[in-house]
Amino acid sequence: MAFSLGLGALVSLICGLDRVAMLQIMISRPIVAAPLTALVLGEPMVGLQIGVMVELLWLARLPVGAAVPPDDTQVAVAASALAVILGHSLGSSGVELSLICLMIAIPLGKIGQLFERLARRYNGRLARRVDDALDEGSFFVAELQHLRGLTSFSLAAVGTYAVIMVGGLLTIPLVWPLVQQPLGYSSAWVQLALPLVGIAVILGTINVSRAITLFCASFCMAFLLMWLV
Amino acid sequence: MMTVPRSTRVYIWFRLLLLQASWNFERLQGVGFFYALLPGLKKLYRDEKLLEVSRKYDGYFNTHVYLAPMVVGAVLKLEEERAAGLTDADTLIDDFKEMVAAPYAAIGDALFWGGLRPLAAGVALFFAVKGILWAPLIFIVLYNIVPIWFRTVFYVRGYRQGIKSVEFIQQHRLPDWAIHTKEAAVVVLGGLSAFMVFSQLTHHQLPSWLGLLTLVPMVMLSLVARKGVSTLMLIFIAVTTILLVGVFWVDMVHLIDSWGIM
Repeated sequence: MAFSLGLGALVSLICGLDRVAMLQIMISRPIVAAPLTALVLGEPMVGLQIGVMVELLWLARLPVGAAVPPDDTQVAVAASALAVILGHSLGSSGVELSLICLMIAIPLGKIGQLFERLARRYNGRLARRVDDALDEGSFFVAELQHLRGLTSFSLAAVGTYAVIMVGGLLTIPLVWPLVQQPLGYSSAWVQLALPLVGIAVILGTINVSRAITLFCASFCMAFLLMWLV
Repeated sequence: MMTVPRSTRVYIWFRLLLLQASWNFERLQGVGFFYALLPGLKKLYRDEKLLEVSRKYDGYFNTHVYLAPMVVGAVLKLEEERAAGLTDADTLIDDFKEMVAAPYAAIGDALFWGGLRPLAAGVALFFAVKGILWAPLIFIVLYNIVPIWFRTVFYVRGYRQGIKSVEFIQQHRLPDWAIHTKEAAVVVLGGLSAFMVFSQLTHHQLPSWLGLLTLVPMVMLSLVARKGVSTLMLIFIAVTTILLVGVFWVDMVHLIDSWGIM
């Protein structure tokens, strides 16, 4: 288990850095991060399932200016790691386990916002140190302060991952026997509902005139086509 | 006129990939802007002058991360002109940075975060829902084509045209493209929703027309989201409702059966 946790932490670190600090090539998006986590842990389909459910949930929360959106990257990474690891230890798999992992990870993921705010606040000190370094005429030290920001973002990413993993590993084995059967009745519908909630939030917040009309027209057209063909 | 060598400009481009490494609430991307530009400044200035110019760049700066290369390119050009004594660029550069940062940020946010990202995600999710493991790769490729083009071509344009690079942005009518991309995203998400609902109903051997009813809760949720209700709350409402319905599902199926419409 420790090896799997370590692999998960590595993916969490790489994807977490892509989120703000470097590259921004979107490997931090849940549709990439979750399958990537599950792939390194040997069960990519579990990650793909979780990626589909999480991807659209907070897509409408834009990282504009000083706004810090919820950390869907770590929610996706940790939920995937939990689903794979607990799948082995509980001898269970399937959508139900993925869902309970996600239901635990989503609220705990709020911690991610807190950690990221702390990282950004700490980086303010680094900015002041850059001033000091320039006053002393040391460009090397000034550049180093900028790169040290990567450490604070890394700690925020791995910290969020750790909180979700600890929370999940402590609670899920306890609640799993209680929720396994009720979830069995409705897991497929919850799996469908999560992306639909995300799409509804995007519709509600996207700045496009007549977005709902456009959406309904597109939905009906596609639905009728599939129905008739 | 002393110019920044091509190799240094390439090096600066790579440094721009770390623009937000020390993002903070006080100066946002300011230190990153200084970090990216520094190799260029080192080619143009020496000793005290280099320190004096460098201090001007570690203050507040914020724009969209994919359009920042264009600003850096243009500033590099203006610094070359200043170093050659062609213009009194001191206030010009500060004004230019201030003038373009906010509009570029607004354009980039709308185009990339608001439009392209949901569009690429929507397309990739079609594949993911079908269980195709290439879906993440499809998302990365689809999404990154445009940002990579912006990061490279606009950087080069910024350097070549300096302050006139603003006209290049205006010519491309990016705000219009942002709206078109968002509209395309809404259409794709509509199709995706229909596909997911239809697949689910078919899988459970339920009548297809029931899927059209999905629009009612979705429109209601979107209106509630518009009022500022958090996604977390909406998830809670949706999941709780489904779990409760799940408990009474068998009775509901019997009831629908008795109506004879299945």
